[in-house]
Amino acid sequence: MKGENGLHLVPCSQIAQCAGGFDCEIRILKGDRAVDASNIFDLMSLNAGQGCQLELQATGPGSDEAVDSLAKLFESDFQGHVKRAD
Amino acid sequence: MQTRSGIAVSPGVAIGEALLFGSEGFQIPQRFVSVDAVESEVGRFRAAIEAVSIGLEENQRVASERLGDEYAAIFGAHRMMLRDKKLIGEIEGLIRTKCFSPEFAASRVLRNYAKVFQNLGNPYLAERAADVFDLEKRLLRALLGEKRPELSHITEHVVILAHNLTPSETAGLDPEFVLGFATEVGGRTSHTAILAGALEIPAVVGIGNFLADVSPGELVIIDGGRGEVIIDPDEATLEKYRVSLESRKQENARLAELHELPAITPDGVRVHVMGNIEFPQEVEHCTERGADGVGLYRTEFLYLGARTEPTEEDHYNAYCRVLESMSDRPVVIRTLDLGADKVPASGASFYEVDNPALGLRSIRLSLRDTPQFKIQLRAILRAAVHGDVRIMFPLVTTLLELRKAKMILGDVMEDLDDARIDFNRDVPIGMMVEVPAAVMLADEFAREVDFFSIGTNDLIQYALAVDRGDPNVSSLYRAGDPSILRLIQMVVDAANRHGINVTVCGQMSSDPRFIPLLVGMGLRTLSVTPISIPEVKDIIRHVSVGQAEEIARHALALDIARDVENYLRGELSRIHPEHSPVD
Repeated sequence: MKGENGLHLVPCSQIAQCAGGFDCEIRILKGDRAVDASNIFDLMSLNAGQGCQLELQATGPGSDEAVDSLAKLFESDFQGHVKRAD
Repeated sequence: MQTRSGIAVSPGVAIGEALLFGSEGFQIPQRFVSVDAVESEVGRFRAAIEAVSIGLEENQRVASERLGDEYAAIFGAHRMMLRDKKLIGEIEGLIRTKCFSPEFAASRVLRNYAKVFQNLGNPYLAERAADVFDLEKRLLRALLGEKRPELSHITEHVVILAHNLTPSETAGLDPEFVLGFATEVGGRTSHTAILAGALEIPAVVGIGNFLADVSPGELVIIDGGRGEVIIDPDEATLEKYRVSLESRKQENARLAELHELPAITPDGVRVHVMGNIEFPQEVEHCTERGADGVGLYRTEFLYLGARTEPTEEDHYNAYCRVLESMSDRPVVIRTLDLGADKVPASGASFYEVDNPALGLRSIRLSLRDTPQFKIQLRAILRAAVHGDVRIMFPLVTTLLELRKAKMILGDVMEDLDDARIDFNRDVPIGMMVEVPAAVMLADEFAREVDFFSIGTNDLIQYALAVDRGDPNVSSLYRAGDPSILRLIQMVVDAANRHGINVTVCGQMSSDPRFIPLLVGMGLRTLSVTPISIPEVKDIIRHVSVGQAEEIARHALALDIARDVENYLRGELSRIHPEHSPVD
């Protein structure tokens, strides 16, 4: 996690939105805790602060693409991906 | 009948039907729905989700146009939360399996999430609980339709019982319809409490959980003097309070006739009765009662009310508002008196000390934080062009402090001169006398100020070493203690020797028993709670200076507080039987 506030409200909403667009099951892990990446409340409850190591896991159809898209979100520190939910 | 006690923050009695507000200002009409209604209730819930979603989308669009996508993203995130499948599933699950009403189910589930955020030990995420509460509010509003009464739009006589009222909600209450209020949370110095006093609405706060014991529309009595709420009173209690309310009304009607009359003793001595205010709006409470000015304008609200430090313009506008209403009557502006029991929302760490009453507060704080102090002084000097302004420094203890404060005031005048900004350089400068050390040096201080104002609240606490907020010792806090009387006499004598004005502005001067005494001790200006102005005038109009001096002589010869107070009570009922104070 690069951002100062860690995995805060807006990044969580972006992750959940992005993850919700895929059919595969996507999980985000912090240590041994895993949450459904499409659930904004669970993502926030990960309490992932700046500098925290997170792991992405996806299984099912389109999982490679899903991991790529989410990884990009993290790499860009959630900048420039402020899309409006349709 | 059930009686619940809390903290008395605004005196008076209110009898009326209860209007209930839960934690977030909503009344949840029912917790359960019938089994047959479950599917239609789920449908109602889904419609509410749709409605809130549309509202959020609109907010997002507007925010995006006005502030940019960065800000608008918050509303996008709120929509994501709202449409979260797990969330919706949980709420619908409760409606279906437990027959919860959608309102109750949504409130419960969202509050659980908020609690999770608050307990993560991450301050940022804890604040996000507010986002969840906001979502809850929106959902409830959508579910309850327009049934939710806006507090500021109440048009029937009610007594408000709430978990909490925000300062802005309190400020919006219309005293004509809101007879009184009681809250579960809140303390003596909460803004809501201060505002209740300013609005003159009977109020009790900090009662603890009690809303579950009251049904909407039930008859309740709020006794703001005793700090009690009586739910569903029996006939005898109700009658007792109705009688007291009626006699209070008659008394007020009688006192209202005094509004236009000056406070002149029967032997023709004029006493100036001024008002103590905290909020600019309170100035009307003074003018309508014929106050001779504002004897104490506390400026803490400017700091306590806001999240950020007030700007020079915030100060200036507030002062001008008061000056305009007072026209040519004097307004004594006290500089920042923060610290001790008055701590700003930002809560800097130096407030958290063991003994705040003796710590870095008031003028000590101003002398430490000179930039902030200068902002206030600039605003006062500029506002002083528009009326009779006087500056007063609080808690002055040593001559050096006074000189430093005056020096900073001089610097500010120079700055204003350099910037060619219009101001009044002849503003009288005074000080609060509220520390025994300042009383001992009153002669020295009198040479360097234009007036004294005796702050009895702190003077009593410091002289008697009693914290009046501590119930273990509060009975020792007595304005009638002979030591207090002598301290006041010393200040009055010093002021008279040096020909400067002296006022008493503490609560002692709003207490009817002490009025003849204070006049007898030589005071010709009193500054009191606005609501007490007519009563104080009334007493002054019934006691000659000769009589008052006799009372003072006798009282000063007594040696214990109880005797002084009993004697003064007896004298008052002799002078003016209608003012016999009730205990």
